[in-house]
Amino acid sequence: MAELIYSGLAKQFDGSARPALDGIDARIESGEFVALLGPSGCGKTTLLRLTAGFEEPTRGEIRMGDRQVAGPGHFVPPEDRGVGIVFQSYALWPHMSVAGNVSYPLEVRGLARAERARRVEEALALTGLSEFADRAPAQLSGGQRQRVALARCLVAEPRAVLLDEPLANLDLALRASMQENFTAFHRRTGATMLYVTHDQGEALALASRVAVMEGGRIRQFAAPEVLYSEPVDCFVAGFVGDGAVVSARAAGPLGGRGLEVEAMGLRISARGHEALPTHLCIRPEDVNLTDEGGLRARVRGCTYLGGRFRVVLDAAGEDLVAYSRVRLEAGAQVGLRIDRPWAFREPGASALPAQVMANA
Amino acid sequence: MSLSFAKGGSSRSEGRLLSWLLLPVALIALGPVVRLLLEGVGFGSGLTGAYVVDVMSQNSTRRALMHSLVTAAGGTILSVLIGGAFAFLVALTNVRARGALVFCLMVPMMIPPQITALAWMQVTGPSSVLLKMIGLAPPLGSPQPLHSPGGIILLLGIQHASIVFLTLRAGLRQIPADLVEAARMSGARGLRVWAQIVMPLTLPALGAGAAIAFVTALGNFGILAMLGIPARYSTLPTLIYQRLVGFGPSVLSEVAVLALLIGLVAIAGVLLARWLLARKSHGLVGLSGQPLSISLGRARLPVEIALWAFIAAILALPLMALLFTSLIPAYGVSLTWANMTFDAWVEALFRQPMTRRAYVNSIGLALGASAILMAVCLPLAWLMARRPSRATRTIDALVDLPYALPGVVLSIACILAFLDLPFTDMTLYGTIWIILLAYLARFLVVMLRPVQASVGQLDPAMEEAASAAGARLGRRLRTIVLPLAAPAAAAGAILVFLTAVNELTVSALLWSSGTETLGVVIFNLEDSGETVMASALAMSIVLLIVCLMAGVQLLARRLPKGVVPWQS
Repeated sequence: MAELIYSGLAKQFDGSARPALDGIDARIESGEFVALLGPSGCGKTTLLRLTAGFEEPTRGEIRMGDRQVAGPGHFVPPEDRGVGIVFQSYALWPHMSVAGNVSYPLEVRGLARAERARRVEEALALTGLSEFADRAPAQLSGGQRQRVALARCLVAEPRAVLLDEPLANLDLALRASMQENFTAFHRRTGATMLYVTHDQGEALALASRVAVMEGGRIRQFAAPEVLYSEPVDCFVAGFVGDGAVVSARAAGPLGGRGLEVEAMGLRISARGHEALPTHLCIRPEDVNLTDEGGLRARVRGCTYLGGRFRVVLDAAGEDLVAYSRVRLEAGAQVGLRIDRPWAFREPGASALPAQVMANA
Repeated sequence: MSLSFAKGGSSRSEGRLLSWLLLPVALIALGPVVRLLLEGVGFGSGLTGAYVVDVMSQNSTRRALMHSLVTAAGGTILSVLIGGAFAFLVALTNVRARGALVFCLMVPMMIPPQITALAWMQVTGPSSVLLKMIGLAPPLGSPQPLHSPGGIILLLGIQHASIVFLTLRAGLRQIPADLVEAARMSGARGLRVWAQIVMPLTLPALGAGAAIAFVTALGNFGILAMLGIPARYSTLPTLIYQRLVGFGPSVLSEVAVLALLIGLVAIAGVLLARWLLARKSHGLVGLSGQPLSISLGRARLPVEIALWAFIAAILALPLMALLFTSLIPAYGVSLTWANMTFDAWVEALFRQPMTRRAYVNSIGLALGASAILMAVCLPLAWLMARRPSRATRTIDALVDLPYALPGVVLSIACILAFLDLPFTDMTLYGTIWIILLAYLARFLVVMLRPVQASVGQLDPAMEEAASAAGARLGRRLRTIVLPLAAPAAAAGAILVFLTAVNELTVSALLWSSGTETLGVVIFNLEDSGETVMASALAMSIVLLIVCLMAGVQLLARRLPKGVVPWQS
């Protein structure tokens, strides 16, 4: 296994105005399970394809361990990179049996027949496919095909495993069990895994770290819980998790536990690392429905999530999301308190402390 | 970890190496046509334009052009009537056994024109065995009614009906059923739906089919020669043939102008067809629904009887006549159980050195052409799909030309291009190699399109997965692309073989003693009065063709859509 290092990586496709990737700097540790998360067109698949070697970068370099695989004047084609890849369509070869598909990478490497048979058997056993070895891919269910693709990618002991939206073609129930499969699999093999998805649930559940991408850049690269509780900008705050983003400004000095901010006409004590934040990320857990809060809001909608209700509130012109144990009727008035939301500074936005504004 | 890091870019350089394939393909497929164009503007002769004026001002040229246009137009009208009626009935209504009907309508297209002409001549005329058997034969000495413009038009019309049928049916399949259902909800029924909804939507397809049928009829040397030459009714292809056979390569510049003339008319037809087909897809895209199926009600059985009777008339009747003629001991005798003999078959297939040689030549040429084209088209189709460039797109657009142009035009182009090989004293004219090169140029597209369809349908991820597994380009092509495109390549190879083994138009101008092809031998046998032997040889070829077509039919289920020409 090897770590993956991207520095200054950019990709511009011919005939497209915007670069698909625009200055990617990231380091993925050996054995890490990283998800690339973002809306379609954000560049996540391009980054995966550059890693595999299916595309050449326009600028920058990619290193696998101590070897440069792409860089100025140097390009290692995919067949020499030793990465495994699982495609969204699985790309199983229909003219070969399951065992044939899995043994192909070993045949290409010229392994002896006995060694090949042993490793194919091992890979099939690991993915629970031993009894299907002689079937044709067309005779398998979606989940089984997925596992064949996985076995084929692992049999060659790749330096890194790339997964391109591998669950997108499976139904909901199967997705959950395949997610468990991936986690168990990662634990057993300790492979470096790079997982592309547009489904935040998948990314947050599976990965040890998630890179949130947008517009060809990585907006934030952090552990799932950090992305959720401490987003760095409005995009990440809005894209990952539920809740609201409202504008705010500092109303006190930055201390060890955060700072006082002014938002929605209230003084709120917030967490944060920025002396001059511009926005608050208010998660549903941060909103307490209570009459002691000092903020009044009107219920705009209420949906049942199982065990609790998700309530959309209109508070001083901002939409907030809260959880409630009881059903609230649309139009009802409720009181609420906001507990230590996350204050951050949107890059490029101008921020002034509240006092300055007041004195002006 | 058993992985090695080789020098970067190795698969890319393999890809670049593969691009060199485009050069011979362009040279062989397009070189001759370009050479012909140059000849027309005076390249190599120094007499710019003089030949053009000279040839165009001759009466014979103008008469042949006129005759060509008249017969091609007449044949096209007939093809539109037959093919159109079949297409509407088979594609729109609930007649039964459509597959068998379509297959039978396609057989005349696959039977070479010289055999069609020979077979029909056995149906009519004073020596018809068939007519003699039922006592309807005209008296000896009365003329063969098919040796006339009308006969030419009739046979051209029958032979090319399937072209109109296929184009029109493809157009009809694009009409969503809900358009017709909407018309019915508005109160329209039966003929009104057909005339006001279906017909206007399919007019472009019908026009395109007609244009293609016209171009094909223009270059149908087999029928024009077999029926036209005895009647002294000269058309452009037969005029070129007679000039070249009569005077040899010395009149090459002159016949090149004639070839260009017919080529220009053909290209106009091809462009018209493309334009009409491009219009067809306009506005109906993405609306594919249930295919139409209009119930004929009580008229179904009579309609079915009429369709099958027609098939019997255009297929069974001439083939029966051909078979009977092949079984009589001597031309002009009637067939009885007593005098029935396979002498002509034995003579044609086993004794005559010329026919045996022709079988060897034709099958060898057809096998060679299919094998070479199969080997070329797989990487070519891959290049076009995966590494598109200006060069691949140009070849893609022009590769139809050698096939769409009348065969005589391609023959003249090949003679011009290969008469004097550049930088040597050698000539390919008169050798079998010039025929092979002409076949490669002409049938490239027949092989390429099915393989292209198949490679185009391959998920690129299939190859990327192999690439990530460590397989280089050569191995990927061999182990992934080849097996998956193999059924299409096999079907393409059979189609090339079918077309090449019967081919007359190209070889009629390129053959010489020792390099006869089957088409040439049938033509020559009939020309020299050996009708019985010609019939036996022709009949043996028809059997071969039907067997091969049945083989493709059996493969059809495993092939991507559009590979088998008579299925869509």
